[in-house]
Amino acid sequence: MNKRKMFFRMITASLLRRRSRMIVALLSIAIGATILSGLVTIYYDVPRQMGAQFRNYGANMIFTPTDGSFTSADISQGKNCIDQKDIIGVTPYRYESLRMREQPVMAAGTDMAEAKLTSPYWSVEGEYPSAEGQILLGATLSEQFRLGTGDKVEIGFTPSADDNDETVVDSTKEFTVSGILETGGPEEDYVYMILSDLEELTGVSGKIDLAELSISAKSDKLKTYADKINSSVPTIRASLVKRVTESETTVLTKLQALVLLVTVVVLALTMICVATTMTAVVAERRREIGLRKAIGASNSSIIKEFMGEGMLLGAVGGIIGSVLGYIFAQQVSINVFSSSISFMPLLVPITILVSVAVTGISCLLPIRSAASIEPALVLKGE
Amino acid sequence: MFFRMIFGTLIRQWKKMLMIAFTIALGASLATAMLSVMLDVGDKVNQELKTYGANITVVPKENSVLNSLYEVEDGGSTGAYLREDELGKIKTIFWAFNIVDYAPFVNTKAKLDDGTEITAVGTWFNHHMELPTGEQLDAGITSLRSWWEVTDGKWIDEQSIENRNVAMVGSALAEKLGVRMCDEIHLTGSVSDLTVKVAGIIDAGGDEDNKIFMPLDTAQTLSGLDGKVDSVEVSALTTPDNELAVKAAKDPKSLTIAQYELWYCTAYASSICYQIQEVMTDAVASPVRQVADSEGAILEKTQLLMVLITILSLIGAALGICNLVTASVMERSAEMGLMKAIGAQNSSVSGLVLTEIIITAVFGGIAGFFAGYGFAQIIGHTVFGSAINMRPAVIPIVAVLVLIVTLAGCIPAIRMLLRLSPCEVLHGK
Amino acid sequence: MSLLELKNIYKIYGDLHALDDVNLKVEKGEWLSIMGPSGSGKSTMMNIIGCMDKPSKGEVLLDGVDIAKESAKNLTMIRRDKIGLIFQQFHLVSYLTAIENVMLAQYYHSVPDEKEALEALDRVGLADRAKHLPSQLSGGEQQRVCVARALINYPEIILADEPTGNLDDANEKIVVDLFHKLHNEGTTLIVVTHDPEVAEVAQRTVYLRNGRLHKETINQHFTGEIKFDNEVSV
Repeated sequence: MNKRKMFFRMITASLLRRRSRMIVALLSIAIGATILSGLVTIYYDVPRQMGAQFRNYGANMIFTPTDGSFTSADISQGKNCIDQKDIIGVTPYRYESLRMREQPVMAAGTDMAEAKLTSPYWSVEGEYPSAEGQILLGATLSEQFRLGTGDKVEIGFTPSADDNDETVVDSTKEFTVSGILETGGPEEDYVYMILSDLEELTGVSGKIDLAELSISAKSDKLKTYADKINSSVPTIRASLVKRVTESETTVLTKLQALVLLVTVVVLALTMICVATTMTAVVAERRREIGLRKAIGASNSSIIKEFMGEGMLLGAVGGIIGSVLGYIFAQQVSINVFSSSISFMPLLVPITILVSVAVTGISCLLPIRSAASIEPALVLKGE
Repeated sequence: MFFRMIFGTLIRQWKKMLMIAFTIALGASLATAMLSVMLDVGDKVNQELKTYGANITVVPKENSVLNSLYEVEDGGSTGAYLREDELGKIKTIFWAFNIVDYAPFVNTKAKLDDGTEITAVGTWFNHHMELPTGEQLDAGITSLRSWWEVTDGKWIDEQSIENRNVAMVGSALAEKLGVRMCDEIHLTGSVSDLTVKVAGIIDAGGDEDNKIFMPLDTAQTLSGLDGKVDSVEVSALTTPDNELAVKAAKDPKSLTIAQYELWYCTAYASSICYQIQEVMTDAVASPVRQVADSEGAILEKTQLLMVLITILSLIGAALGICNLVTASVMERSAEMGLMKAIGAQNSSVSGLVLTEIIITAVFGGIAGFFAGYGFAQIIGHTVFGSAINMRPAVIPIVAVLVLIVTLAGCIPAIRMLLRLSPCEVLHGK
Repeated sequence: MSLLELKNIYKIYGDLHALDDVNLKVEKGEWLSIMGPSGSGKSTMMNIIGCMDKPSKGEVLLDGVDIAKESAKNLTMIRRDKIGLIFQQFHLVSYLTAIENVMLAQYYHSVPDEKEALEALDRVGLADRAKHLPSQLSGGEQQRVCVARALINYPEIILADEPTGNLDDANEKIVVDLFHKLHNEGTTLIVVTHDPEVAEVAQRTVYLRNGRLHKETINQHFTGEIKFDNEVSV
């Protein structure tokens, strides 16, 4: 048997046979490591998760035509400039003035599924239009025309007078109100319909006035996206919705600072807790240290053994803590954001290293002080 | 004798006791800091979310149906307006304290000399109000539109300007007209004309970039709408909606009296809207969903996040204290064995240990409480730039927590002590 | 040259002279007892001989080296090479088995050797209990593990501090018998005790009082044979 084998045999014996004491220490380290890995995971994931929450505010980038209008091909060209996983929704809008019961109304043709994504704050009583022939009616209009969900209404389009073309006649189509839209904003004055319906009514297709984009990115990244689109797609002018992007940056930065600070405070206090526990655990073993010295152990070999033990404990605690921390962060994420958290592999070695370092340092002081005392004193007295 | 022994331990073993007290203090400070931050984080984040602007809009009743349409169609002069003299009342409602900012708007069309029609908006910039309650408030779009960037010049300061014929021009419009700061623009409104001096250019990143903004009375003069406003935007601190709020928003009359009281006395967006409607003649106040809903979601998430982090750190603190107490009581097994050998009862040995630990815990806990208060303030000032409000509830929670945790930490150690047989201890096993 | 020679040793704590001009020679292979009442300086002397403490004044020559002048680090090295310690409280590491406790001494000395450790336990009659933890052994057995640990590295001197202090008569006999065996094998034994029965089986006994060597007796009947019984007298 060589020395190293004996070294590990001693350490494992100490850890396994002094089970209750070691569990106390291990528990303490594991808690520290759990808090470390859990909070750091949350800290890194908060911007992503919270960013998703901030997408509730709706579009943070809009495409407007540089000249007149653009087409959906232009939109997809613009979309390609953006990292696909950052895109939450892209909603095209085309606005036309239509007639409803012989009164002028503003109508918007759009893609309902995308509108749901870019404007999550829309509150719809009833259903979103799911098929052609259905409309989403703004609350103001619904009140004005006394139309409710399920009612039918005829909507017509008169080509603009400038065309002055005798052959063009009014086109009309009957629509069913599938839902009433409430937003507390100007959207309540519009009629929303599926884009193809509007194209059918007007007889003009492939024309889009505006597109709303909801992109999960910080404002500086959004700016680079906008610049890229502006330079590569000539028909589109991409601009940021300042109100949303600026505020998001402000609030998100503060939130992250909050979590960071909380993490730092909690971690510092927890690490001190771990350190005091380790100190107590080591201090208990002064007599044993004295004995080892008496039978010929040098200070350095004692420090080596006890540190080895402490660090092994730290490593095991770190591993347990990484797992528990991940579980904790995952639970937090599921409960708070109803989405799973991204696993950060790098955090595992970091957690283990930190817990090894913390236990090592917190063992070092009491071991050094115990190792420096005369063995005779420990063995006789106390 | 009992107390003499206890003080003997506390004084002679002060190093060990100090370590226990220190750990308890750490745990208590952690608990205090986290609880204070957690309980106050809602208000703080709510304040931050005000940067998204108004979450309630108020429009005249008759107009609420037609307003937008008319604006689209013919530029402005509809029949119904809100009364400017009633604006102050918004700050007198039950939840007045939660109203952080608001601004009235009056929209009018004006013609430039070359015949182009533009939208001129009269509003408050930083309107100063002396409230009946003695409070003072500076309200207006300077703070309500915090995301607007003034690219040239600066915000109009209503208190310092003498000539009220000033305006701020949207960046797109400014570019089109080629105006810069200090340039003058001649506007012809529906009843009068005047020349305004450009105080600044606004980059709003939206429709507003095509408009011109001026003090409320200037726009009123231009359009002859003295004492009238089109709409008011209100920024209020609100509580996220729950079922009750949703039900109440549809029809407050459907609530029972108890529900109504609860709803009225909670800062839901809908109850604040309701209260605004009570004080303003013929007004309809409604929450801006884009802002109100998102605020609710973010607030809820943040609070939940903090609650969970707090729970984790409380568990951490509790186990930390437990551990150390256990470890340090076990360390004294020899002493306890000796006491049992000379005739101490189990109960008196445990009583002694418990009393010592509790005295230590009380000192540690008090020190920790103040340290934790400090930590909370550091967090508050660093992150939000304002102090964290200490809720009185924190004190009993921390106190109970520290006591329970300390006692729980003693249990395994005391059980072990009770099992000790004196001879084993004294024979150095 | 003597194996161990103490020349004018003083150990002074403040005003207290724990050792006061002590002179002592121990020859190789000798069995010496140190006796004295509590506070006579026995422990201090044992600590100094055991390289765990240094005298305030004087020379301690061990194998011709003055250990009083050595650094703490060197003292540790000398101790593990030349001294085997046996304690009244046994001082076994509670979480290591009997054989591991023996191997611990090997570990600090050179290289642990399980076979050799087992032989040492066999010599003290505990080969069958090698895998037991100290808490599973009786007091006598623990002390024998302690003896095995002390002799595993073939030390120049085995230094025993009240080796029978915590033992009953039967175990005391076993341990003293072991000492006889070690003595017959040529080990130098120094036994600190206040039990006359244990002291008197040695070849020579020195008596300490108030830090001074007060008396020295030679055991006339010492034969080196195992003949421990209660009737042994001076």
